[in-house]
Amino acid sequence: MSDKGHDVDLTRAKQNTGVWLVKVPKYLSQQWAKASGRGEVGKLKIGKAQGKTVVSFNLNEELTVVDCSGEKISSVRSPREHPFTMQTVGGQTLAVFTESSDKIALEGMVVQRAECRPAVSESYMKLKKLQIEESTKPLRFSQRLEKAITTNYKPVSNHSHNLEYEKRKKEEGKRARADKQKVLEMLFSAFEKHQFYNIRDLVDITKQPVIYLKEILREIGVYNSRGPHKSTWELKPEYRHYQEGQEEEKEAAKME
Amino acid sequence: MTSLGSQGSSSSSSTEYVVRVPKNTNKKYSIMAFNAGDKVSCSTWTQARMERDMSNRRIYGEEETQEGAAGSEFGKKQREEARRKKYGIITKEFKVEDQPWILKVNGKAGRRFKGIKKGGVTENASYYIFTQSADGAFEAFPVHAWYNFTPQAKHRTLTAEEAEEEWGRRNKVVNHFSIMLQRRLREQERGGGDEDEEEGEKGAKKKKKGGRGGDLRIHDLEEDLEMSSDESDGSNGDGEDDEAKAKAKKEKGAKGKGKKKKKKGSDLEGFEDSDDGDFEGLEVDYMSDESSSEEEEPEKTKPNKGEDVPKGIDEMSESEEESEEETKNEEENKEEEEEEDGKKTPVQVEKKKKKDSSGESDSSEDSDIEGEAASALFMKKRTPPKRGGGRGSAGSSRTGSRPGTPSIDNAATSNTLRAAASKLEQGKRQTTVPSSETPAAKRLKMEPSPQSSSGKSTPQPASGKSTPSASDVLLTEDAVRRYLIRKPMTTKDLLKKFQTKRTGLSSEQTVNVLAQILKRLNPERKNINDKMHFYLTE
Repeated sequence: MSDKGHDVDLTRAKQNTGVWLVKVPKYLSQQWAKASGRGEVGKLKIGKAQGKTVVSFNLNEELTVVDCSGEKISSVRSPREHPFTMQTVGGQTLAVFTESSDKIALEGMVVQRAECRPAVSESYMKLKKLQIEESTKPLRFSQRLEKAITTNYKPVSNHSHNLEYEKRKKEEGKRARADKQKVLEMLFSAFEKHQFYNIRDLVDITKQPVIYLKEILREIGVYNSRGPHKSTWELKPEYRHYQEGQEEEKEAAKME
Repeated sequence: MTSLGSQGSSSSSSTEYVVRVPKNTNKKYSIMAFNAGDKVSCSTWTQARMERDMSNRRIYGEEETQEGAAGSEFGKKQREEARRKKYGIITKEFKVEDQPWILKVNGKAGRRFKGIKKGGVTENASYYIFTQSADGAFEAFPVHAWYNFTPQAKHRTLTAEEAEEEWGRRNKVVNHFSIMLQRRLREQERGGGDEDEEEGEKGAKKKKKGGRGGDLRIHDLEEDLEMSSDESDGSNGDGEDDEAKAKAKKEKGAKGKGKKKKKKGSDLEGFEDSDDGDFEGLEVDYMSDESSSEEEEPEKTKPNKGEDVPKGIDEMSESEEESEEETKNEEENKEEEEEEDGKKTPVQVEKKKKKDSSGESDSSEDSDIEGEAASALFMKKRTPPKRGGGRGSAGSSRTGSRPGTPSIDNAATSNTLRAAASKLEQGKRQTTVPSSETPAAKRLKMEPSPQSSSGKSTPQPASGKSTPSASDVLLTEDAVRRYLIRKPMTTKDLLKKFQTKRTGLSSEQTVNVLAQILKRLNPERKNINDKMHFYLTE
């Protein structure tokens, strides 16, 4: 859990920097992502015509090529002219803040909102058509195969997984009864880590035959047949001491 | 890349700017949206701090406490996971990115905002921030997320249950200011706890709060705003509980205390100032006809306490009986301190805690009265703790019959004790009947005279001690008789009715006079709730 409390850097806010919030169509932002070099994507033209401010964005030539998921190079190109529709900020006070890996800074206030619309043209219509076609394609579809697949599920005499298993078993051999003291040490160290253990897990840990292990467990442990930790073994209370000084206790108990 | 400066084109004057979308930036841009009505101006912020609100973590995170040895099973986690997969349980992850922001502006005393992420912003269209860089080009940055920031209330609000209650009472309650006051006091009672220590702290803090206490309610919110600070962070829903707990356990230490105290201080200022004793009309217990009139009292009374009071008073009596001694001393100490500052906050506070209704300031006097009354009237050993109980119940009965008192004291235009006292001082004889009642209040000064003197006024110099502003209550035999006819009352109840402030008598005088009256009336006695009640049947 990282401490995310950051003091906000208010330097830009104090300067009352104003920014524009522009809503940009998805395809355009995709094109912008393909920009190279310093990231120049186009030119913004701000002018006045008949007393009204007219803003328009012109996309660079090289960015008009549209990547489509189809196999062929599309003949469709995205439009270049994009007039902006200016809107007021209105009933909201919008501020912009940035998060970087180490700090949060307030970048400024939004003074103008705009929507970037494509100038309606043939190319735009074609582009839209393409988009719609793509989006209507279902995610999953069924396809008929000409030939049946015969490379799966071939019958084998013995699966490779099985072979490995048997080999491993052979290597290990039957579990040998180790020294009782050693087993006890192993058990105690295991029970230091967790309080409840399944018999299977204990067998894995100690690598002892089950019967032998059970005998030892009956000496030092108790089996929970009911309760929240069902069918698990835990140490007897006198051996148990889940605090400091645990080892001494267990040693003392062991000696008895 | 060249940045084109002003380039006139033929038809309209327009300038072209290059638009750049920087690629290498590691800063993620987000929008912080405030409602225009909140009047947020970022330029006024001197300091701001933002952090994620992690309060939802415990809901999502299945992060139970990492149990090491004790109580843990071997392989429990894997087993749980396997089980969940088997049943197809999909738990939503706790994504830090989606958590709300908490924005604190201008430090502790400033505003707090919570910013909740708005979904669906980047789904179909992208937002870009266009900033103008130094070279005249525009730089466009994509907006990563949009957060709607709303200011967080620092004043205390009602919980759902309380809101429903108040809604039910909305037609009856006129004084809306008292709603929160009631609630606060209720909390205090519940979380009484270590009151001695609380008082000690309050005493220490009193000076600070005293300065602001003089203003009326209007100030309340701002005071709360100042003081509440971080109390409501985290579990907002438990805001009330937190405060109750804070009171009880003093864990929040100074802040919690301070806030509570300040509130009480400011509230109780009002109590102090409204000397009419209007706020006594609280109990609705026995006399239903007074309920409405109580609530119409416009001061910082506790009309809503009416329902609470009946049981409250008895409890109060009991509790008071337990620790009367200490409280009395503390009250007196507090009162002295207060009088230095001119405010009676702690006393009120403490009294409010221990005894609910009576907002009197003459606590010590009252306690004196009651103790002496008890001994005077019963002439058998009564434990002093009875004082508090008596006061509580006296208050109830007295306030209960408050509307009745005007009927007793009415008619007389010169009914203010002041007038009466001044008249007495001048040795004038009151001839008019109604006004004969006023000097009767001064009877305590005269030697025990026979019944005949009850209606007469004796030229006794009025004590002239404490002169109340309004005399709604005069200690006359008629008044007492009326009370006792109406319902059985204990001595403490009676004393409550004739508060020293109102009658202009000192505590001792009141006690004596009351004793005499009772001797004269010789009411019947009845034991109710192990308390001796007097009553008359006419």
